[in-house]
Amino acid sequence: MVRLERVGKSFGDIRAVDDVSLDIPRGAITVLTGADGAGKSTLFKMLVGLVKKDTGRILLNGEEIGDDYARVTSVCGYMPERFSLYTDLSVEENMDFFAAVQQVPAARREELKTRLLERTGMAPFRRRRAGALSGGMKQKLALSTILLSSPQLIILDEPTTGVDPLSRIEFFAIIESLRREGRTIVMSTPYLDEAEKGDWIVLIRAGRILRQSSLADLRRTFPARLFRILPQGNVFAAMRDAASIPGLAEAAYMRGKFIKYLQTGSENLGSRIPHRQMVEEAPTLEDMYIYYERRQ
Amino acid sequence: MSRAAPAIAVRDLRKNFGGFQAVRGISFDVAPGEIVGFLGPNGAGKTTTIKMITGLLAITSGSVEVNGLDNRRELPRVKRMLGYMSQKFSLYPLLTALENIEFFGGISGLAPHDLKAAMARMQEAVPAPVLRQKIQDVPPGIRQKVALFVCLLPDPGIILLDEPTSGVDPEARRGFWNEIYGLKTRGKTLLVSTHNLDEAEYCDRILIIHNGEIVSAGAPDDLLRREGKASIEELFEDAIRSHGQN
Repeated sequence: MVRLERVGKSFGDIRAVDDVSLDIPRGAITVLTGADGAGKSTLFKMLVGLVKKDTGRILLNGEEIGDDYARVTSVCGYMPERFSLYTDLSVEENMDFFAAVQQVPAARREELKTRLLERTGMAPFRRRRAGALSGGMKQKLALSTILLSSPQLIILDEPTTGVDPLSRIEFFAIIESLRREGRTIVMSTPYLDEAEKGDWIVLIRAGRILRQSSLADLRRTFPARLFRILPQGNVFAAMRDAASIPGLAEAAYMRGKFIKYLQTGSENLGSRIPHRQMVEEAPTLEDMYIYYERRQ
Repeated sequence: MSRAAPAIAVRDLRKNFGGFQAVRGISFDVAPGEIVGFLGPNGAGKTTTIKMITGLLAITSGSVEVNGLDNRRELPRVKRMLGYMSQKFSLYPLLTALENIEFFGGISGLAPHDLKAAMARMQEAVPAPVLRQKIQDVPPGIRQKVALFVCLLPDPGIILLDEPTSGVDPEARRGFWNEIYGLKTRGKTLLVSTHNLDEAEYCDRILIIHNGEIVSAGAPDDLLRREGKASIEELFEDAIRSHGQN
């Protein structure tokens, strides 16, 4: 639905987004994930015209948008990282306000408002002041407000950051229901386990795309085997010893009491770490992220 | 798991705020040298429980023993055994990292040469330009590192961390957990509350708390096997749903 071609943006000396080409498939959940400062928010802001890109093209349904951002904003709902809710207004008043701003026809407002609040589980809290809602509820209300315009493209910047796990699970379930209706969703998250649930996963670091693909394809094309090693004795000492084995330090990292080792060559260097146990595992998205990040 | 006398023993602990029961009679142990993860939605009672263990919040009923000492009768001694990092890291935002350490080292009665050594360690751990910035201006990952450092200044044997990794990016989280694991290898006992379910695998045991009650407890792998679940997320969701919504 949306395509970015070689898009770049600098702030002074900082290259926030570096020559990024990206596809956002229609009717799917696209998830961007990476560390803070990776360029996720800047990318979203360029999509909706809040930040002007320096270079590159943005295409919507195959047509370049140029400076005509209204073409994107007329079909999209954008939820910034800091939800823009009026904390002194109630849930219902926020909905009314945003319905007016988005020029929802008055005849449809009540019905739409009720349906959206029910859908996001916010109906019981209609009269509560937005400022008195929990983080998870604020986020559901913010989502409800952007759904008022029935957007086909939904852009969510870190909607679940700092939100408790149950609310996060519920929020993602709402996102999935929107996808079932055929809407296109693009969101960012710092949680790699959440990113795994996306249909299209974009790993991003320091303004550059490390990888973009489905989870299945990421797994299929992943060029390393992953071993989880339980070292004999202290894991820190084992990591120090591992550093003296050529090629091992770059391919190993610590995770609690375990060392994870990514084998790319023919020899399993990890087996040289004195260990109590060594098991081959399917790599998680975090393992793959670390692998590509180290190779950048 | 070790059968040594528990580092923390919580028995039938309750806390009411007016008519609201925040913690409803929970019991658990934390064994010496163990990392226990405390998982639950917002408002489940994690912070309230941790605060009752530290003595910051009065207990309504039940008891907390720390290394065999009742935390109400022996509070000053218990406090010396505990390190506590609160949810909103209580650093002074207008001071730099080093100034915060100097301040907190001073009030925790650290000898001058120990304080100097601590500041030298901090200088090794954090890049110099960041050390000179006000703590409010440094990235959350660094802030959290400094807060942990401050909490460890008096060298406590038992460390309580309340959501230390919320709002911190994955790389900083992994680094932080490796530090936590390093503390365990030095014999420390840790109780860590978290919003990040994937962190359960760093823990020896997890406690899932919901509506002030413990709804699931055990080693993560054992729980998954016992409940026939593929992931901690599934286990968590199921434990919470089967005990009713808020």
